[in-house]
Amino acid sequence: MELLTGLLTTAFLAGAVLALAALGEVLVERVGVVNLGVEGLMAMGAVTGIATVTAVPSPILGFIAALVVGAVFGMVFAFATVYVRANQVLCGLALTLMGSGIASTIGRSYSGMPAPVTFQPFKMPILSEIPIIGPAFFSQNILFYLIYLILPIFFSYLMFSTRHGLNMRAVGENPAAADAAGIPVNLMRFSYVTIGAALAAGAGAYLTLAFVPSWSDGVVAGRGWIAVALVIFAGYRPIMATLSGLLFGMITALGFIGQARGWPIAPAFLSMLPYLGTVAFIIVPVLAWQKMRRAMAAPASLAVPYYRDMR
Amino acid sequence: MTSIRNLSRRGFLNMSAAAGSSLLLPSGMLTSAFAADPLPAIAEEDAVIGFGHVGPITDEGWTWSHHQGLLAVKEAYPNLKNILEVENVPYSADATRTYRQFVSEGANMIFDTSSTGDFLHQVVKRAPEVAFMECNGHNPDLPNLGWYYLAHWYPTYVLGVAAGHLSKTGKLGYVASFPVASVYASTNAFLMGARTVNPDATVQTIVINSWFDPQAATQAGTALIDNGCDFLFGIMDEAGYLQVAESRGVWAAMWNTDIRRYGPNAYVSSIIVDFKDFYVDQVGKRLAGTWAPNQTLLPMGGGVDRDVWGQNVPEEVGKAADEVREKIIGGWSPFVGELKDKDGNVRVEADQKMTEMELYNWDWSVEGVSGLEG
Repeated sequence: MELLTGLLTTAFLAGAVLALAALGEVLVERVGVVNLGVEGLMAMGAVTGIATVTAVPSPILGFIAALVVGAVFGMVFAFATVYVRANQVLCGLALTLMGSGIASTIGRSYSGMPAPVTFQPFKMPILSEIPIIGPAFFSQNILFYLIYLILPIFFSYLMFSTRHGLNMRAVGENPAAADAAGIPVNLMRFSYVTIGAALAAGAGAYLTLAFVPSWSDGVVAGRGWIAVALVIFAGYRPIMATLSGLLFGMITALGFIGQARGWPIAPAFLSMLPYLGTVAFIIVPVLAWQKMRRAMAAPASLAVPYYRDMR
Repeated sequence: MTSIRNLSRRGFLNMSAAAGSSLLLPSGMLTSAFAADPLPAIAEEDAVIGFGHVGPITDEGWTWSHHQGLLAVKEAYPNLKNILEVENVPYSADATRTYRQFVSEGANMIFDTSSTGDFLHQVVKRAPEVAFMECNGHNPDLPNLGWYYLAHWYPTYVLGVAAGHLSKTGKLGYVASFPVASVYASTNAFLMGARTVNPDATVQTIVINSWFDPQAATQAGTALIDNGCDFLFGIMDEAGYLQVAESRGVWAAMWNTDIRRYGPNAYVSSIIVDFKDFYVDQVGKRLAGTWAPNQTLLPMGGGVDRDVWGQNVPEEVGKAADEVREKIIGGWSPFVGELKDKDGNVRVEADQKMTEMELYNWDWSVEGVSGLEG
């Protein structure tokens, strides 16, 4: 019982970072752009979060500031990839290098001090008394509900149940057809790349304001890349992206708990679990059901810049 | 020396004969022929000293401590203007490139503050006029390379004694980086210290495959506490699990520096490292022309120590642990047989004292430490 509660609590905590970053990347990739700059954006968000709360002791303000900084970087990236039509992979890598570099430079003066204020968990009356899921799900901070409930449900509804969402997906599948139908392709791409980048930076801020409440160089530690991989795993679906973040957090937590309990499995193997799990979860469903292959496919125009005059 | 271009058949045969015969020499003789002369003295103004670090100097841990050593060198030799410093040297061919760059910039002495092994040794072999010191290195018998490290197992044993007093469950958690000698020595010493107080104590380790990963350390700390550990220790370059311990209300001891501000209630102590005097001494010897490759383990009280006890540590616990510390400084060693490994095999015979090199190269877990060996 206690084992399960502990497992869920650490899984939810660790998974939120990945869930939010992956959700942002889903939005970006659905409109046909690959943003490999997630790692750099998370670093920027993380340092912005800590810098803001050091100046003004309000975690919400820190989170918003991170979103804004992420959006600004996202606009630069979107301008380069959508309007200038530069190579998306190269621009993404540049964004990662630039973001991590700037973050570590700015972060110098903030490293080595704990965050003065953080998002505090609050216990919901009655609900938090439910065994097993109560402590894990109903005594968390406010960001937690934003990441696990509000944002995925909102974006899923937007993407699959509205006219706007249909247009958005059309831009990612066939921008030429979308353009012919009167959908503003470039504007659509620009907006969602910006929003996705903001969410990635938000994931970084969650790191420093809720998960490991302090900044240190390299705090993101490659989670941005995992978020990019999770998008493929989630079949480019918002709710699935959130769940896959959670699943990944759960498998990581399982590895740690396995070691703590002294399961007779080599630690190296336990730390491999998340990656083995990812591989298994991607391969098995596709092998089992041929239909999954189409359902999980990437948007047809992913990473292809759109030239109107070359239709 | 014959150059490759005008090498005759006879010259080639001579060369290969020389190479062949040198293989027949007993090892060590080859190097002693080169090591005859110490490197010449240099004026303070002309000297160039290089430092290569594994992490950023702002890490508040390992690299930060070495950077403090560099600052101490600067202060001790004010005319020494040329100190090169590179952060985040990766464990790859890039390290070779970095150290080669130091050499080509005229470095007289180079410190590798985190063992880069063969990537460094390649450079060492080609720069016999440069003095090299590798932290936590393993001497490959080169005439211009020495190593240095800390006898951290002694203060760790002292912290173990404190942990034995403070832990109620007797379950001690350990956040480990990799199953390497430092970590074996650290976990073993920690448990042996704790067992002097609580003979049933155990150490449970979680290996997170990084020296620096606050997210993983946070998760590992949480998992250990969930599993009943009420005292966390580890060998990390950051404060991740101390913050967990603070919020969960258990004890924690750290490595490298005093970071009690991250969790003042949970903080017990740290393994404090201090390379200042060592670096000043080594650079001084190099400048004076008296430097020779040396193998140095900085002792407790002279480079490595426990930190001032945390605010919530009861006075008598600190006192009990400090008595052990005094004894060790006085020359007593706690690492005496009989020691058994986790399968019950006797690895150190009764009354046999482990040598410093055995402690430095410890590669098995004592009975009671779990998680490092499969």
